[in-house]
Amino acid sequence: MKLTSFIISFLKYSLSFIIVLGLWEAYARYGGLNELFLPRPSKIGSKLYSLFVKFEVIEQGTIYWHFFATLAQMSIGFCYGITIGTTLAVMAAFNETFRRYIAPYAVVFNVTPGIAVLPLIIAWFGFGWESKIALATLVCFFPPFINTLTGLLKKNDEAIELFQTIGATQSQYFWKQQLPNALPEIFAGLKLAITTALLGTIVAQFGSATEGVGILMQRFAFRLDMAGSFASLVTMAIMGLLVFTIAEVMDRRIVFWRDAKGLERVSKKKQRKLMVNG
Amino acid sequence: MSYSTTDQTKHISIFKTLPFHLMIFAALIFIWEMTNLYGFEDQIQADMIAPRPTHIVLAMLDIFIIDKTVWKHLISTFQKALLGASIGTVIGMGLAISATLSVTFRKYIKPWIILMEATPRIAVGPIFVALLGFGLWAAVALAALVAFFGPFVNTFQGLMEIDEEAEELFRSIGASKFQTFWKLRFASAMELISAGWKLATASAFGGALVAEFIQASEGMGVLISQYVIMITMDYAFAGLLSVTIFGFILFKIMDYFDYRLIFWKNDLLLLKESEKRRKKAGITS
Repeated sequence: MKLTSFIISFLKYSLSFIIVLGLWEAYARYGGLNELFLPRPSKIGSKLYSLFVKFEVIEQGTIYWHFFATLAQMSIGFCYGITIGTTLAVMAAFNETFRRYIAPYAVVFNVTPGIAVLPLIIAWFGFGWESKIALATLVCFFPPFINTLTGLLKKNDEAIELFQTIGATQSQYFWKQQLPNALPEIFAGLKLAITTALLGTIVAQFGSATEGVGILMQRFAFRLDMAGSFASLVTMAIMGLLVFTIAEVMDRRIVFWRDAKGLERVSKKKQRKLMVNG
Repeated sequence: MSYSTTDQTKHISIFKTLPFHLMIFAALIFIWEMTNLYGFEDQIQADMIAPRPTHIVLAMLDIFIIDKTVWKHLISTFQKALLGASIGTVIGMGLAISATLSVTFRKYIKPWIILMEATPRIAVGPIFVALLGFGLWAAVALAALVAFFGPFVNTFQGLMEIDEEAEELFRSIGASKFQTFWKLRFASAMELISAGWKLATASAFGGALVAEFIQASEGMGVLISQYVIMITMDYAFAGLLSVTIFGFILFKIMDYFDYRLIFWKNDLLLLKESEKRRKKAGITS
């Protein structure tokens, strides 16, 4: 029952997709759309085919290599960013002095468009991977920071009372109440951070690079090879969807108590475990 | 026992904390200055990595007052960002309003929106620069493209969250469809919508700067990269700082605008406004 409705909605969506693409193609062919502005879908498709299936080599590598390089740079930058962001947030949550006097600098930092630092970052870190990782770190550290901080400062008076009456220790309070209580916010921050990290990586590649999807895009666009640049845009969309889906799935798995179904699943599992043990 | 989460609600007056803030700031600047002077073996390298704060201040003086180079670029970038943000906001809010009003439209636009969200939209930059040239419009187009999403999501979310009791009240007093939309939905969504405007402005700056980095004739992106290429890092920092300062001022203005526009969130303003309206309607209290 559920499967059929899923299939039907999927078909509907793909139909709307196909119709839009068909209109675009027809207009490009017969309506005289300037191919310099919007290349027709079939050309983009054939370019994608030659990139992905025929392993066309551009800028010292196949598209898979560029894809991998961008993804790797992004994930390293993301890891640095969330480490810095959450560490700062935990420190700010537990130390009032720190929060009052140091945390505002993080906010000022955020007002500067992180991307504006790009030339400086290239001057400091060079044209290699380091500059991409650095920019990704810089642009993505703020959402985890601010979200973790607000999550940890969120207070539930009743829960505190409960924990006090059952005599829980400080660490128990942190692990069983404060952190789980903050997790939805933390994950919302991580989801924001992962997309901004990808953005930072690609922008850094515009600055200068030898590998990566960003540089592919730029080369194609400057050669006025619009089919190629749209093909690399599609590649980026795929990458974005991939990253986004991973973050979404992780969010649903870890913060399972947010929706009723997930809560039921996990509590059943725990129940079964208790039955086996008892 | 009590758990050592620090209390957020405790209020300390600004006059007590300000001296400490200033002290910490001065200490940070002093450490920076000393690092530049004594922390490196090579002075050129030191100026490259962390130019002295005094030099940065001098550079700011130079570009703002003596040489006045920065104004042209600053105005250009602000123009691009604000134009882009307005265009993006109009598109985003228009889409959001149509999506709330029509169920079919909402259904069919959804996959496109998800696709748009996942694609790093700023990556279209080189295409726009190649098509629209090095002037104003490539940057405006990119800024609008990256800016439209914030207002879209926020407006949509705000309009969809509806207080059912209030809706019932509106129905019982026979409000028209337009009145319900404008006075109930839109008004209650106003807070989220204005947050969306701020998001749009922030991302529009990113878009405009990226377009300028790729290739442009003027703008802060061009200026900063020129300074970096000439290895005058103090000037590059000064340029960066001016973007921050003026961005900050812009955000403060928007905050104030917000505060006046959404008067019903503040008791004092609400009182004043209702007094004014009462007078206008000729009701004496």
